[in-house]
Amino acid sequence: MESYWFGDVEGRACEPAPGDPGLLAERIELLAGSGDACIPDWRIAVRCGALRDRAEYLERLRDAAFILAEKNLGRILQADHSGLIQMVRMLDQLDEVINLLTERSVEWHRATHPGFSRKRTLPADRTLIALIRQDADETLTGLLDEIERLRGQRSLLMKQVSRRAEEVLPNCSALAGGLVAARLAAEAGGIRELAVMPAASIQVLGAKTALFSHLSTGTPPPKHGIVYQHGRVHGARRENRGRVARTLSAKLAIAARIDYYRKCADTEFLLKAADAVRRAGRRE
Amino acid sequence: MIWIEGHLVSVGPGGVYGERILQGCRVWDPKRSKLAALYYLGTELELGPDHRVLYLGAANGTTVSHVADYTEVVYSVEVAPRPMQDLLVVAGSRKNIIPILADAGRPDLYRPLVEEVDLIYQDVASPRQVSILLGNICFLKEGGTAVLMLKPRSIDVTRPPEDVFREAQTEIEEGGLRILDRVLLSPYYPDHLAFLCRRD
Repeated sequence: MESYWFGDVEGRACEPAPGDPGLLAERIELLAGSGDACIPDWRIAVRCGALRDRAEYLERLRDAAFILAEKNLGRILQADHSGLIQMVRMLDQLDEVINLLTERSVEWHRATHPGFSRKRTLPADRTLIALIRQDADETLTGLLDEIERLRGQRSLLMKQVSRRAEEVLPNCSALAGGLVAARLAAEAGGIRELAVMPAASIQVLGAKTALFSHLSTGTPPPKHGIVYQHGRVHGARRENRGRVARTLSAKLAIAARIDYYRKCADTEFLLKAADAVRRAGRRE
Repeated sequence: MIWIEGHLVSVGPGGVYGERILQGCRVWDPKRSKLAALYYLGTELELGPDHRVLYLGAANGTTVSHVADYTEVVYSVEVAPRPMQDLLVVAGSRKNIIPILADAGRPDLYRPLVEEVDLIYQDVASPRQVSILLGNICFLKEGGTAVLMLKPRSIDVTRPPEDVFREAQTEIEEGGLRILDRVLLSPYYPDHLAFLCRRD
């Protein structure tokens, strides 16, 4: 018996496949997986009565191929969690935009208020923007409102990123925090990419400039990239920092693999790993 | 092929990628499509209304849409999800594009979909360009044509392009194809070579 997407053919007899494009797509997937599919010929389909003519052959095939392509597309996009990566990039770009706009507002304010200086210390509960707003004109006030709104959106997004990271990267997030885990994945280019990365690469993810300047001109190598944002790394004493970063990345590399392949948190590993990172910071 | 005032065009629903329209026809820009460049440089390759084409490396569907204007059906294989999203939109407005999200290096995965074709067009920039083409020869009917857009820079940047060309030529001939013509795509695409082959 020969199996084609339009039906099973045995000599002159034919068992036509159901005409629904969704079912056809599933059939094609099965055939592709089985590995012994035959190259189809529309004349066989017509001869054995599965389809009327060439036009119907192409139309059916096209509809099924569309559904199949869309299905596979959805599968790929979901599997690599490209949504999370985009969220992290949006977060970083929001930061950039907010800083730029704030900076420009301050410059504008300074130009119109001779007495203004950034050197003046701010009261603890006041932001720079709130201070400028006091005697800003209508246009600037409107812009400052927008900046405030962006800030609000930024913190919403940040919480969302951390929440998503805790779902997608439970082990990495438990070790380094959701935000750092998400940033690492974004810098690596994806969850899978992070999972196949050596610990030493994870350690310097986000320290591209320093790393390449080390490789090309021999400046001291970077001790840490994004992992610096972890409290145990930037909180460690200077002489211990490299070791903490190294230990943390080694554990993160394992965590990323568990996240990608096993897809669940491993409490025993997490306890041991956290302990190892703590010890690395304490040693003299 | 249709030429209007020295411009290569194709007839079909326009607005696929903001292409220019000349007397109701879609202008096929040699700077955006290697196949168009090949026509500008002169080739005996013809696309006809009864041709079936297997297009490997369909990308966003720019060239695919023009090929589909000339031919009966185009089986368009692309592996990357993002260009595929664009390709699906292009294929949505045409009845004769069959989109396939798969790796052109794994023809077994789309074997149930693709029939025997008259032309295989290979524009996947990969270090395994030649073997990808040879792996898809099973879809090419006897007497059919294969076009390979060889980009030596993606095979090995460190070697001079001529060496890569020569090696590719031997590999193609050993794979059972007869080379009809070789066309350098400069000035449109520096260092690209189009191989026109036939399966006897």
